[in-house]
Amino acid sequence: MAERYAVEMKGICKRFGSVVANNQVNLTVKRGEILALLGENGSGKTTLMNMLSGIYKPDSGTISVDGTPVVINSPEDAKRLGIGMVHQHFKLVDTFSAADNIWLGVEKAGMLLKKDRYANIEEMTRRFGFDIDPRKLVCNMSVSEKQTLEIVKVLYYGAKLIILDEPTAVLTVQETEKLFAVLRRMRAEGHSIIIITHKLNEVLELSDRVAILRKGEYITTVDTATTDEQQLTEWMVGHKVTLNIDRPVVEKTRPLLELRDLTIRSDEGAVAIDQVSFYIRGGEILGVAGIAGCGQKELCEAIAGLRPIEGGKMIHKGENIVGLSPQAIIEKGIAMSFIPEDRLGMGLAPSMSITDNMILKNYKQGKGFFVDRQSGRTAAQQVIEDLGIVTPSTETPVRRLSGGNVQKVLLGREIKAGPNVIVTAYPVRGLDINSSYAIYEILNQQKRAGVGVLFVGEDLDVMMALCDKILVLCHGKVMGVVHANKTSKEELGLMMTGALDLTHKYEDKPAGIARDTLIAEEEEQ
Amino acid sequence: MNNRQPLFRVVKKNQVDGRKVILSYLIAVAVALVLGAALLALMKVNPLDFYSKMITLGIPGNRYPARSVEGFIRLFVPLLLVSVALSLSFRMRFWNVGGEGQFIVGAICAAAAAFLLGDVLPTPLVLLAMVVSAALGGGLMGTIASALKVRYGTSETLMTLMLNYIALYLLRFFGETQGAWNIFLTDDSARPRFETFPDSAQMPTIEIGSFSLDVSLLVVVVLCVLVYIYLKYTKHGYEIAVVGDSPNTARYAGMKVGRVVMRTVFISAALVGLAGGFYVSSAGALSTSVTNNVGWTGVIVAWMAKLSPVGIAVTSVLITVLQYGCQVASTTYPNIDSNFANLLQGMILFAVLTADFTARYSLVWRGANKEVSA
Repeated sequence: MAERYAVEMKGICKRFGSVVANNQVNLTVKRGEILALLGENGSGKTTLMNMLSGIYKPDSGTISVDGTPVVINSPEDAKRLGIGMVHQHFKLVDTFSAADNIWLGVEKAGMLLKKDRYANIEEMTRRFGFDIDPRKLVCNMSVSEKQTLEIVKVLYYGAKLIILDEPTAVLTVQETEKLFAVLRRMRAEGHSIIIITHKLNEVLELSDRVAILRKGEYITTVDTATTDEQQLTEWMVGHKVTLNIDRPVVEKTRPLLELRDLTIRSDEGAVAIDQVSFYIRGGEILGVAGIAGCGQKELCEAIAGLRPIEGGKMIHKGENIVGLSPQAIIEKGIAMSFIPEDRLGMGLAPSMSITDNMILKNYKQGKGFFVDRQSGRTAAQQVIEDLGIVTPSTETPVRRLSGGNVQKVLLGREIKAGPNVIVTAYPVRGLDINSSYAIYEILNQQKRAGVGVLFVGEDLDVMMALCDKILVLCHGKVMGVVHANKTSKEELGLMMTGALDLTHKYEDKPAGIARDTLIAEEEEQ
Repeated sequence: MNNRQPLFRVVKKNQVDGRKVILSYLIAVAVALVLGAALLALMKVNPLDFYSKMITLGIPGNRYPARSVEGFIRLFVPLLLVSVALSLSFRMRFWNVGGEGQFIVGAICAAAAAFLLGDVLPTPLVLLAMVVSAALGGGLMGTIASALKVRYGTSETLMTLMLNYIALYLLRFFGETQGAWNIFLTDDSARPRFETFPDSAQMPTIEIGSFSLDVSLLVVVVLCVLVYIYLKYTKHGYEIAVVGDSPNTARYAGMKVGRVVMRTVFISAALVGLAGGFYVSSAGALSTSVTNNVGWTGVIVAWMAKLSPVGIAVTSVLITVLQYGCQVASTTYPNIDSNFANLLQGMILFAVLTADFTARYSLVWRGANKEVSA
């Protein structure tokens, strides 16, 4: 008899309309192993896992649990079969305590909430070595605590197979280490784990085997010990790509944009950016690293004039631009592009055509009452050709384009305007490797042209390869500015969590503050 | 294994074929007409006769065919203008359901101008004053809602809805309360009754044979073309599209979103008020049922036409044929009153909206997946 798998998926097909998300995919997980599911964006990883957790149903193919064929119609069915999924976006009730969130999903909970549920859950978390207070409200939890809670939740429901969808995307290096320790402990107890990820180093570090999908097709499953980064990448993207991101050396000019003691409040009124000072020179890419939600969004919005500034100065070419309207800041040549989680929220009008999106920032130019679409169409044509945007025509609504092309439209428009400072947040969010490299190349071109680029990013590896310097934010404070080629991921990770503070290390010589950039003095020389 | 699944699921179709949509509309109308025919047959009326009268507006065999066309135009003009005006707001996702109120206020303002200036100024100036005050009155009604929304983030749907009733009861108040101050009522009658307008406040007509063409029709058609151009080719129209699509993006692009909202809602409401002004000027008097529900029908027309100006023109014609045709046809049969016209209208609209839904969504029945996978 063949080896018994904890879960076996065979010949799974799933289509959404005309799009084939999964085609003849096979996947097996043994008991007590960690399987990494690897693939580019849109390769069907999440779809496949959603079928295992009962959110979708396969069009064809079979799923077996412990050798018995099963039909999974709903997440409840999956739960009964011992399959639990931790989604990328947590499914927790913010105003409930940890214990109540767990109890929410317990079947036959009875009419009354018993006090001993706290003890119950506490005992269980201790058994697995989790660090979580059952009485703590979810809204007071950090991201990693929420994730731990999600894992505890599925374990509490008796899951034998746990699926994690990009669990490390929101974690710092240290938190990731902690998560991996938990996962290894669970493996030792005989649980099976499937972890979806983009990050090859994590795959190699953690998993026993790797399954690879490419464009909905099943490629192969290999033992992690027998493979390496290069080979996995080739399977993933289908052909050899260089993993090196170019970092051209360009002569830097004087600072184009300087922030001094800038303080900004978030929508909730909390201080989001706290006395931040830094500067961007022309011809350099300054990376901004930090855990999600530590002030990046507020910083970008403030630079673009979209958010009131509480205190401090923003000096652009020797002129304070605090309090200028967004329109005036655009005219100064400061371009801001921010890719939010939904990718379309800010910067593009999704149901309007590429042409219409091209003229978004300059439709007011030109005399008269009418919009000049002809020049917009020419610009759209130009950007489509320059950046290789795949689209039926310039009149296609942006919403219909794929993620990479949408982001190219956005960046293309910003560059077209000939800015001298580009602020770009998460420009490769959700993009596959090829599209990402295209975006990096666009940014490098701008750098060569003497533009100052502020790159707010997520992936530390990319930032260390692409940026000249990296500024690390933690809870709205600058932890320091380091040279990208002289730092390490560990150092950045420590700074992101606030464990290492270079700015205030030497009180007499604050790092990251542009002491030499009193622009008036420079101009005198 | 628990095999419980919902009986059916609603799935949005990826591709919507334009021809199929139109076909399903036609089928829907046919179904509604067949149902109506069954009702007519029950009441011993020949459905074919009734329907042919309805579609031809009772013109064949009518001694005064011109009157029928004039009646048609009188219903058509306000509906077209109100629908186009509302679509301006809707494109910006500002849910202006205050058409009724804006229409009434426009009508009251026009009437006030007519009574105050009608005997003083020459006809062109009186008409101009009526038109301008109607537009301003309607526009201000809209501005109440838009200003509150922009300043305090109130819901425009609730505000415009409630303002409808304020306008309606204001009109009733003017219609029922006698007093020396009340310029809207006639002095000749002991009971409160609306005064008819002075001749100088009557909408002029162009006589073509026995048919007199209401000038407001020409004005409204021109206005609709202007709105079309405004939306499609101007900077303002572009701003409306961006604000409607994504207010964040608009802000980011340096647009003053509040200003765009205020401006557009003012124009939208002013056009609705204008429709009210035109209507009373053509009718020559106020009445408490002055709107003929056009503020609501306009919402339906704008949505059925998917906010496209051309679609709105076509839909308005069809809806007016239905409304007016039903009225005319039911007057020829003693056992059918105008309520049947309303019933038939309701059935047709309901059927078309259902068809619209089925053309864009499909139902997946329980177990359908198995057949696919087999």
